Amino acid sequence: MLLERVDNPGKLRFDVPYQMAMILTKINRFVKEGKIAIVARRCDEKAIAELVKRDLLDGSRLELIGLACSAEQVEACRCTDPCPSRVDIGQPSEPVKDDQNFAGMLDMSLEDRLDFWINQFRKCNKCFGCTLNCPVCFCDECLLEEKTFAPDKGIPPGLTFHLIRTVHLADKCVECGECERSCPVDIPLLSLRKMVNRDMKKMFNYVSGDPERMSPLLTTLEGDPMEDDPNVC
Amino acid sequence: MNDFNPNILAFCCNWCSYAGADLAGVNRLQMPPNVNVVRVMCSASVKPEYVFKAISQGIDGVLVLGCHIGDCHYLTGNHRTAKRIPLAAKILDKVGIDSRRVRLDWVSAAEGEKFQKVVTEFVEEMRSLGPNPMKEVRF
Repeated sequence: MLLERVDNPGKLRFDVPYQMAMILTKINRFVKEGKIAIVARRCDEKAIAELVKRDLLDGSRLELIGLACSAEQVEACRCTDPCPSRVDIGQPSEPVKDDQNFAGMLDMSLEDRLDFWINQFRKCNKCFGCTLNCPVCFCDECLLEEKTFAPDKGIPPGLTFHLIRTVHLADKCVECGECERSCPVDIPLLSLRKMVNRDMKKMFNYVSGDPERMSPLLTTLEGDPMEDDPNVC
Repeated sequence: MNDFNPNILAFCCNWCSYAGADLAGVNRLQMPPNVNVVRVMCSASVKPEYVFKAISQGIDGVLVLGCHIGDCHYLTGNHRTAKRIPLAAKILDKVGIDSRRVRLDWVSAAEGEKFQKVVTEFVEEMRSLGPNPMKEVRF
């Protein structure tokens, strides 16, 4: 946040309820010069790395202030990587142990799993909360607002809507859990993202938030960059 | 004998697989009539979105056919396909749709017989899998 005058810094909150990377992209449009300091948790840091890799932010103008999440926050996000690379505020907490089968979700038979997810997706009222609050959702024109893939009228929007979000975030989701927190009907979106991220790790040995390596979906099989614009979903 | 007739969508790349399908036709190779071919300019233009839309609207299987790696008309188009179609299949598996319903294969313009083989095998596999469960689902 831009603070011009700090009257009572004792009231500053450190349990950041927003994704800082999102606020940063908004500020970046009108703060043209100088450096920007930002309080960043581990997930903010990873989201910023994803945006910098795609040339949406200028990494050299950023100064990250590392904020370690509290144990309750780590628990709420089921976070396996909670500690920022440099801790300036707070005490680093222990990561949650990786849940191998997502509370039984992967033990279910295919029929039960489809049943479970269909019932979850039926609750969706297409509020776009998951999209608007997502730190790595950056397209100017969202595919989901077109009627080609999701019906422009009527709720729930169907299976395609959620699967498209899943595939678009497959190489950039930083598991911040903002989609699940902002969902008014409690669809377990974070579990789905985590499952797909684990697949990405298995298939391409890629973890999103890596500041060096470009997403495997944007490179050739040998790892060379493809010619086209990386800023598309 | 299972008499279920699957409905299958095949995306064929214009330069290799569509020509391969053409060759299979010219050679009068017998294959099941369950396949609807969609010609696309490159297999890389088959976004996972198209696969998801087809599956969620009740198609039984999606076949994506492109040039062999290294032979792409657009040089690295099929590298992209090789990564995103298996990912799409994995995602479908996560929400409970058998990942075998999406298959990626390479068929060159000279491989009419391979086209026949791939299509026949895929149709048989879909026949044994049964209808797509999304057919019954109303949102």
